[in-house]
Amino acid sequence: MVARLRAPGLYRAFLGLALGIAFAAGLTWLVRMATGHATYSHFLNEEAVMAVSLLSAPIFFLFGLGGFDYWLYWAAGRPTRPEDHSGHGARSWKDYFRINTDHKVIGIQYTVTAFFFLLVGGLMAMLMRAQLAQPGAQFVSANTYNGLFSVHASLLIFLFVIPVFAGFANYVLPIMIGAPDMAFPRLNALSYWLLPLAGAMMLLSFAAPGGAFADGWTAYAPLSIDAPIGQDFFSVGVQFAGASSIMTALNFLVTIITMRAPGMSFFRMPLLVWANFATSLLVVIATPFIAASQFFVLLDRGLGFNFFNAGKGGDVLMYQHVFWFYSHPAVYIMMLPGFGIVSEIIAVKARKPIFGYRMMAFSLLAIVGLGFTVWAHHMFTSGMPSWIRIPMAITTCIIAVPTGIKIFSWLATLWRGVLHLDTPMLFTLGFLVTFTLGGISGVMLAMLPFDIDVSSSYFVVAHLHYVLFGGSVMTIFAGAYYWFPKMTGRMFDERLGKWHFWSTFVFFNLTFAPMHLLGLEGMPRRVATYSAQFATANLFISLASFALGASTLIFVYNMVTSWRGGPHAPANPWRGMTLEWQVSSPPPIFNFDRIPTVVGGPYEYGVPGAVHGILVPSPTPATVGGSAGSSGTVFHAAIE
Amino acid sequence: MEAASIAHTAAHDAHGDAGEHHGPPAAHRSSRVEPQLLGMLLFIISEIMVFGAFFTAYFFIRVAQGDPWPAPGMHLPLEVAGVNTAILVSSSFTLHWAEQSIKKGNRFGLKAGMLTTFLLGCAFLFIQINEYANIGFAPQDQAQATIFYSLTGLHGAHVFIGLLLLLTVTVRAFRGHYSPEEHRGIEVPGIYWHFVDIMWIVVYTTVYVI
Amino acid sequence: MSKRTIVGTIVAGVLATAIGIVLSYTIKWFPPQASTQAHHTDTLYHVLVIASVPIFVLVVTVILFSIWQFRMKPGEELKDGPPIHGNTRLEVIWTVLPAVLLLGLVSYSFVVLHENEKKPAREMVVEVTGRQFEWTYAYPPSVTGGAPLKTTQLYVPDNESVDFQIHSLDVIHAFWIPAFRLQIDAVPGITTSYRATPDLLGSYPVVCNLLCGVGHSLMRSTIHVVTPAQFRIWLKHQTSTPASTQ
Ligand code: HEA
Ligand code: HEA
Ligand code: CUA
Ligand SMILES: [Cu+2]
Repeated sequence: MVARLRAPGLYRAFLGLALGIAFAAGLTWLVRMATGHATYSHFLNEEAVMAVSLLSAPIFFLFGLGGFDYWLYWAAGRPTRPEDHSGHGARSWKDYFRINTDHKVIGIQYTVTAFFFLLVGGLMAMLMRAQLAQPGAQFVSANTYNGLFSVHASLLIFLFVIPVFAGFANYVLPIMIGAPDMAFPRLNALSYWLLPLAGAMMLLSFAAPGGAFADGWTAYAPLSIDAPIGQDFFSVGVQFAGASSIMTALNFLVTIITMRAPGMSFFRMPLLVWANFATSLLVVIATPFIAASQFFVLLDRGLGFNFFNAGKGGDVLMYQHVFWFYSHPAVYIMMLPGFGIVSEIIAVKARKPIFGYRMMAFSLLAIVGLGFTVWAHHMFTSGMPSWIRIPMAITTCIIAVPTGIKIFSWLATLWRGVLHLDTPMLFTLGFLVTFTLGGISGVMLAMLPFDIDVSSSYFVVAHLHYVLFGGSVMTIFAGAYYWFPKMTGRMFDERLGKWHFWSTFVFFNLTFAPMHLLGLEGMPRRVATYSAQFATANLFISLASFALGASTLIFVYNMVTSWRGGPHAPANPWRGMTLEWQVSSPPPIFNFDRIPTVVGGPYEYGVPGAVHGILVPSPTPATVGGSAGSSGTVFHAAIE
Repeated sequence: MEAASIAHTAAHDAHGDAGEHHGPPAAHRSSRVEPQLLGMLLFIISEIMVFGAFFTAYFFIRVAQGDPWPAPGMHLPLEVAGVNTAILVSSSFTLHWAEQSIKKGNRFGLKAGMLTTFLLGCAFLFIQINEYANIGFAPQDQAQATIFYSLTGLHGAHVFIGLLLLLTVTVRAFRGHYSPEEHRGIEVPGIYWHFVDIMWIVVYTTVYVI
Repeated sequence: MSKRTIVGTIVAGVLATAIGIVLSYTIKWFPPQASTQAHHTDTLYHVLVIASVPIFVLVVTVILFSIWQFRMKPGEELKDGPPIHGNTRLEVIWTVLPAVLLLGLVSYSFVVLHENEKKPAREMVVEVTGRQFEWTYAYPPSVTGGAPLKTTQLYVPDNESVDFQIHSLDVIHAFWIPAFRLQIDAVPGITTSYRATPDLLGSYPVVCNLLCGVGHSLMRSTIHVVTPAQFRIWLKHQTSTPASTQ
C-alpha cells in the first residue's frame, strides 16, 4: 500500500487531492489570522477553504499523479532517468489512467473523455428540454434550470468541442507531418490531465451549496460576482481547461514548425495540420483573456476587489469586452479544426485534389486575423458606446468571405469527383448544409437593427446550435468515423453509421430550426418558463430533441461494440494519401521505423503516379500513390 | 522517386542509426529554431496577452471612464518603486553576465551571476511586499486601488515564477551542470526573466509614472 | 453529366429560390409591428432572407447534384476523379461577389439603423429602472406637467417618439419590447437609452432579455400604446390616486 502511495499514479494522486484540501484549509486559516481585515472576519470559513481548494487540490492531484516528477528531478539537478520510452504505448486499459507520454495514447484519452462529456452535457440538454416541454413546468426549479444550461454549455464547449479536436489532432497530426511524437510529450500528458479535473469541477458544482453556477457560460458580471459559491467552480474550472488548451496549442505549434518530415513544406501539409496551426495561434493569443476575466471575477468575489463594482468606480462592460475578446475567437477555435477534418474527408471521399488548396490555407489565416476584430458583435445591445457597433458590424460581415471561400472550394472539390457516400462523407455533406444555414443566420445577426431585436433571443440559440452542432459536432462525428479504423484498428458498423447520420440530421433540424421562429416571435433565451403563446413550438422542439438524444445513443453503441468486436481494419481503408494512412492501423508504437520523406502534395488524387510520402522500409509497398494503380495495390495488400 | 527513396536511405544510414533500434526515430528538424526556445517565445506571447487583459481593465477604469489617477487619497511611492526598478533591471545584466561567463567556460562567473540575479529578484519581491504593507490603501477601497494591486500583483506573481526558474538554474549551476556547449538550460529561463523585467518597466511607467 | 441535366438543375435551383422567397412572404415571422422602427427592421429582415435564400439554395443544389451525378457507381471503387487543382477565375468570383453583397447588405443595415435612431423634433422621456426582478417607470415633470410620476405601469401615447432612459439598480437586465423590435441592456452605473415611435394601439409584452438571476424568466411587464387623450386621462388618474403610485 505504502509503495503504491509513493509511486506516481492514481493512488498517490488522490492522496495529493486530500493534501491539497488540507493545504487550502491551512492557508486560509493563516491568511485570516495574519490580516485582521474586515473581509476576513472569522478564522476558518468553509467557503474560503472550498474556493482555495479548487485551485490547490487539482495541482496537488497532478503532483501525485506524477505530472511533475521528471521536472522536479531536473530542477533539483538530480540525475533524470533517461527517457526509456516506458511511457509510450498502452499495454492494458490501465495505461490510459496514468501519465502517458505517447501522443496516440493521449489522443485516445482526449477523445474518449470528450465524448463522455458530450453525453453528460447532452443529458443536461435533455433535462432542459423536459423542463421547457410546457410553460410553467416545475420539472426542475428555476435555479436548477439556470444551472443546467450553464453547465451544459460550459461542458460542451470547454470539455467536448475544444478537447475532442485536440484529441483527433494529437493522434493523427504528428503522423501526418511525419513526426515520431509531439514536441513536448510530458507537457502533452499534463495538458490532458488538466481536463478531467476541469470537467469534474464543473459537474461537482451541482453539489455546491446554492447549486451549480447559473449565470450562463458567459458568467456576466455583476451577476456572477454575488452568485453562490458554485460560480467559483466555473471560474476556476475554466482556468484549468484554458491552461490545458494553451499548453496543447504551444505543443502543436512547436511540433508543426520544428518537426515536419523532410520535404514536408508548409504548402505540402494536409489541411488538417493547417487548421490546427491556425487554431493554435488563436488559442495562444486569445485564451489568456478568458483566464484574466475569470481572475477578475474570482478577485471581486473572494477578496472584495472592485473590477466590476460600479459603486466604487468599477466598469461593468469591461467584463464583456475581455470575455468576448476570447470567446469570439473561441467560436473559431471550435470551428477551424472541423474545417480541417472536412477538407481531409472531402478530398479522399471525392477522390479529387482539394480545390484551391492555397486559398484554403490562406482563408484559415484570414479567419484567424479577422477573428480578433469582431468581438463586440456580442455586445451590440450592451450599452457600449454606439459608434463601436459600426466597425464591428463591418468586420463581422467580412469574416463571412473567407468562410465562404472554404464552402465554395469544398463544393468545387465535389464537382466531377467519384463520391464515396459512406458515413464520414455523409456527415461532411450534412455539415455543409447545416453550417451554411448557421453561418447565414450569423450574418443576419451582424445586421445591427435586426440584432437589436433578436439579440439573446431563441434566434441566437438557434444560430449557435446550427454552427456548434450543425458545424462543429457534425465534423466531429465525421472525423470520429473517418479515423476510427486508424485509432482503434477496427472497422465500425457502416449500417448503424448511416442510421446515426440520418436520424441526427433530421432531428437536429427539427429541434433547432423552429427556434429561429421562437426568437423572432419574441421568446427570450435562458428562461426556465415562458408565456403560453410559445407552448406548441416548444413541445415540438422537446420531442424532437429527445429523438436527437436517442440518435446519439446509436453512435455510442456503434463505437463501443465496433471497438470491442469490429472486423480488423486495413492500414488504409479509404485509400488516403496522407501519411497517417501509410502506417498500420493502429500505427506502430513509434509511428515510423524511419522518418518518411515527402515528395508531393497531400491530395494528388487522380494525378497519375503522384506520390505524397515515401516510407522506408514500410509494411506496404515503398511507394504510396493516389493514382488508381498504386494506391489500389496498397488497398488490396491491406485487405489480404 | 526511386532515386529519392534511395537518396533518403543513404542519408539515413549516414546518421549511423542503421539497423533495428528500440527508441523512436530521431525527428527531422524542419526549422532552425530550437523547440524549447520557440516554446518559450510562444508562451511569452500568451503571457503578454495576460498582461494585455489586465491593462485592458486599467484602460477601461482610467481612460474610458476617466476616473482620476491615482484616486484622491491614494499615494503611489514613486521613489521606492523607482529603486525597485533599478534593482530588477540590474538583475537582467547580472543574468546576462552569467550567460556570457558559461559561454566562455567560466564556472565561477556563472555561479556568481546566477546567485546575484536570484538575490536581486528576491530583493525586488521583498520591497514590493513591503510596499503593499505600508502603502496605506487596500484593493477593496476603490477601482483604482484594485487596478494598482492587480497589475503590480500580477507582475509580482511572474517575478515569483521567474525566481523559481532562476533557483532551478542556480541549483543546477552549483551542481556542476551546463558547459560552454550546453547552456540552453540557462538561456530559455533567461528569456523569461528578461521578459519579466521589461514587463515591469511597462507596469512602472503606466501605473506609477504617467 | 449532359448539358440537359445541368440546365435542368439550374432551372430547379431558380424555381426553389423563387418558391423560397415567396414562402418567406407567406410566413408570419414577427409579432405585431407596433412602432415605426419595427417597419424598417422587418423590411431589413425580408431583404436579408431574400439575399440568403439563393445562397443556401446554391449550396444545397450543388451538393444534391453531385450526389446525383457523381456518386460512385459499381465498378468505380478504384477510380479517381479528374485532378483539378483550382481555377483562379472562379476563386476570385466567389471572393468578390459575397464581399460585395455583404458590404451592400451591411450598408443598408446602417441606413436602417440611422432611420431608427435619429432624433425627432419633439419626444417625451420615460425613465425605466430594472431591478431583480421587476421594471419600474418614471414620468418626469416635462411629461406629467406636475410632480414626477413613479409607477409600475407603462403607458405611452400613439405616434409620439418616446425616449426610454434605462437604468439598473443591481445586475444587468435588458429592456426588450418585441413588438417594437428594440432592446438595450440596463447596466448598473450607466444610463442606456433608445427611442421608439409607437404607431399601433394595443398592449404588448415587455421582456427582460438578459439573465439576471432566478426570477429572470418572470421579469416581464406590459406596454400599453394608447391615444394621446387616453394617455392624458391615465396620467391624471395616476397622479391623483397616490395608491397606485410609489
Ligand atoms: C462554431 C461556432 C460559431 C461560428 C463558426 C459562428 C460564426 C458566426 N457568428 Fe456566431 N455565435 C456562436 C458561435 C459561432 N458563430 C455562439 C456560441 C454564439 C452565442 C454566444 C452566446 O451569447 O452564448 C454566437 C453569437 C453570434 C452573434 C451575437 C448574437 C447576439 O447575442 O446578439 C453574432 C452577431 O453578429 C454572430 C455572428 C456570427 C457570424 C457573422 C459568423 C460567421 O463566421 C459565419 C460565416 C459563415 C457563413 C456566412 C456561411 C458560409 C458562407 C457562404 C456560403 C458564403 C456566402 C454567404 C453570404 C454572402 C452570407 N454570432
Ligand atoms: C457544442 C455545443 C453544444 C451542443 C452539442 C448542444 C447540444 C444541445 N443543446 Fe445546447 N447550448 C450550447 C451549446 C451546445 N448545445 C450553448 C453554448 C448554449 C448557450 C448556453 C447559455 O445560454 O449560456 C446552449 C443552450 C441551449 C439551450 C437554451 C437554453 C436557454 O437559453 O434557456 C437549449 C434549449 O433547448 C439547448 C438545447 C440543446 C439540445 C437539445 C442539444 C442536443 O443536441 C443534445 C443531444 C443529446 C446528446 C448529444 C446526448 C445524448 C445522451 C443521452 C440521451 C443520455 C446518455 C447519457 C449518459 C449515458 C451519460 N442548448
Ligand atoms: Cu432582469 Cu432578466
Ligand atoms: Cu462571435
